[in-house]
Amino acid sequence: MDTVTRRRFLKLTTGAVAVGAAAPLLSIDQIAQAAIDRPLPAGTPILVIVTLYGGNDGLNTVIPYTDPIYFSSRPEISYKAETLLPLDAELALNPAMKGIKALWDQKKVAIIRGVGYPDPDRSHFSSMAKWQTASPAKHINTGWLGRWVDTQSDDPMLAISLGSVLPPLLAGAKRSGSALPLGGLVIPKGSLATECLQLSKPSRKDSKLMAAAATSMRNLFNLSTSVQPVLKAPAPVSPDLPTTNGGNAGGDSNLAQQLDVVAKLIAAGSPTKVWSVSLGGFDTHANEANAQAELLGVVSDSLSRFMGQLKATTRSNDVTVMVYSEFGRRVVGNGSQGTDHGTSGPMFVIGNAVKGGFYGEQPSLKNLYKNDLAVTTDFRDVYATVIEKVLKSPIEPTLGKWSGRINFL
Amino acid sequence: MAVKRVYSHPMNIQRLETSRLFNRFGFGPRPGEFTEALKNGVAQTRTQLLTVPAVDAGAAAVVEPEITDLGRRPAANSKEILPFAIAMRFQSQQMVMWWLDRMALSDNGLTEKMTWFWHGHWATSIQKLNYPLPMFKQNQTLRTHSLGNFTTMTKSMLNDGALQFWLDGHESTVKAPNENLGRELMELFVLGVNRYTEDDVKSISRVLTGYQVARSNGDVTINQNRRDKSAVTLLGTTSAFTGDSVSEFLTAREDATTFIAERLWYRFISSTEEMPATFSAKSAFASRDIAAAVTAMANDSAIRDERYAMVKSPVEWFISACRALELTPSKLKTPNQLLNQLDKLGQVPFNPPSVGGWPAGEAWLSSATAQYRIAFATWLIKQSDLRVLNELPARQRVLKSADWLGVAEWSPRTQAALRRSINDPKQFALLALCSPEYIVNA
Repeated sequence: MDTVTRRRFLKLTTGAVAVGAAAPLLSIDQIAQAAIDRPLPAGTPILVIVTLYGGNDGLNTVIPYTDPIYFSSRPEISYKAETLLPLDAELALNPAMKGIKALWDQKKVAIIRGVGYPDPDRSHFSSMAKWQTASPAKHINTGWLGRWVDTQSDDPMLAISLGSVLPPLLAGAKRSGSALPLGGLVIPKGSLATECLQLSKPSRKDSKLMAAAATSMRNLFNLSTSVQPVLKAPAPVSPDLPTTNGGNAGGDSNLAQQLDVVAKLIAAGSPTKVWSVSLGGFDTHANEANAQAELLGVVSDSLSRFMGQLKATTRSNDVTVMVYSEFGRRVVGNGSQGTDHGTSGPMFVIGNAVKGGFYGEQPSLKNLYKNDLAVTTDFRDVYATVIEKVLKSPIEPTLGKWSGRINFL
Repeated sequence: MAVKRVYSHPMNIQRLETSRLFNRFGFGPRPGEFTEALKNGVAQTRTQLLTVPAVDAGAAAVVEPEITDLGRRPAANSKEILPFAIAMRFQSQQMVMWWLDRMALSDNGLTEKMTWFWHGHWATSIQKLNYPLPMFKQNQTLRTHSLGNFTTMTKSMLNDGALQFWLDGHESTVKAPNENLGRELMELFVLGVNRYTEDDVKSISRVLTGYQVARSNGDVTINQNRRDKSAVTLLGTTSAFTGDSVSEFLTAREDATTFIAERLWYRFISSTEEMPATFSAKSAFASRDIAAAVTAMANDSAIRDERYAMVKSPVEWFISACRALELTPSKLKTPNQLLNQLDKLGQVPFNPPSVGGWPAGEAWLSSATAQYRIAFATWLIKQSDLRVLNELPARQRVLKSADWLGVAEWSPRTQAALRRSINDPKQFALLALCSPEYIVNA
């Protein structure tokens, strides 16, 4: 019904996003000039992060359709084998994921199985914080890509999240990514613009939060100068937004629209190496089957359309998409035609440069770990691979010493 | 206690503390109140802001909307669906406008501020429920207990239809307990994350079985046949708990003291700095008396400490602007446009993004919110006569506007922007409302 289109999870329990230190004193003119003058060099790899908020049920996403335990564990919410989209003799995709299946057939999809972290946490907020900070053992308030932003030269266009609220993922210690609203930017003009720019100047008297408020105004002008013309192009119609049961654990609802904007900006040469988009609603404690299928359909259709849009650009080989959720769900259904919070789940990495196929071990349904799916792959293996192979950066400043890699790129 | 000075020119501590009292224990001053408070001194101001009058004339003047039981949703495409949908939309909107009006028009802001805090704490959204009446009832429950006893509040919330439905309580039975409500009760409402084990989640979920919710009106009943009456071991204690006894058991724990103190700290003092162990709201909360904890918090030395700035959430920013501009939310043109403005900033009452409530701090300071805030402020200013500003002689506007808006002090940066706009009241007001000093309560 009425209003919400932007739903965004944010870490709540022990402190929100880190506050970036006071931004360096660049003049607006310098930044605006830079944004216009230096499009992303051709061939520069681009990372698109898709966050599924609420805990996507991995077992009904990549489905062990020949394992009788799958059917006996969740009779009310298991899929009939003949409706599924088989990937091999053991695993099949949810029937709603035809678009991703087509990309899989073109060998552009890596599915990493059993991904999680040690000692799984079943709280949405803690678990999502662990994924976004890449620090499962200890609470910290910088995101893994925020720390990567810290290692790069200052550029508000470098990492951009779609929507008005910045996810912890992009919060660094010194700097953060920028947030870009959907539907274009309307910026002040004339003397009001001059005075808004005056307000965006740092002041010696600023507290950290006031400095951040000033910076947000500065970034608005900067983004608007280079992004505005692109966003003015007509936006494709977004599909009906799912209004489902699983609506209480955050995330945006208009994934297709977010990806449309990302596709346009990539095509226009925005000097952005990291994009963050999201979809919420995966917290399917009740009446899961339809709700999750609808959401997976949105993910699959939006991503296949996004990959299609990129074909029309010179950058289709440069883009890698990574899809994750904060946890999978229980193997056994809960009696409300749903599932409660679980542990590991599959991740998807999609792109022309990706070596399609399965990676990581499929968690056994027979040998559960404390009644839940085992974690067979640490998400930091995936992050480390992405940092090195896509962002072409050393992993230490972002993840510390981490030896695990996965050979999907 | 010595206050740490981080600036070369120390801030006027009386102004800082007065500004914080108005903005954190209410929704900001109305015209004249800040100047008056400076004359009265901090002690009197604090007492005044913390004293809830028996009858709040401002709040009492807000007419309560008629929110009715809309009954079963008619079938799609039936001829009844249209009037049903229209009534649902109208009543939901009336309910939001009613609450925003109470926030903006209350003489004493504490009750509404605390109700707002608890709404973000027991965060329930109308999105899943899709009926206004249960949300309206929950809001009344939160208001009733907003400064009362936390144990009593917890018992009431377990019998709250909107919360039960939101967290699938009505689906949870002895045969198949659903963990959603039990987990969030411990994690987000009473104890805090990791202050229990996964086995405790399973135990409490068995205790919280058998609730039935009439979705359209929020009435809660307990079906004994669906309830697990057996004894469970919860946090080391084995007992055949009920909803009431489990509320008493959980809220009596030391972890509940810590957790509620942490939440108060996070929402009223600082969302970025750690709560010190000496935070006085914590010991005051030993009695589970919320008013005692709030009073202790308002008297804590943290309220004078320059480190603890807070970003105003979009609703707080909007309401404080309404109070300064003498605007009534429900009379703005139009309610739909107002909801749209709030939605763009990411905060609509009765509609939190998740069971964890709204974010805080820098999350509200993106380039996108900067843009929406400018548009929102422009829209508001167009509908105000800017009485206060127009009555000030132009040369006094920069200085006196800090009092008008309850700002501790303008930075030289902002003063420069304002000074160049003294002859353009609309632009002046817009810059002031969108300045770092107004968005962030020092």
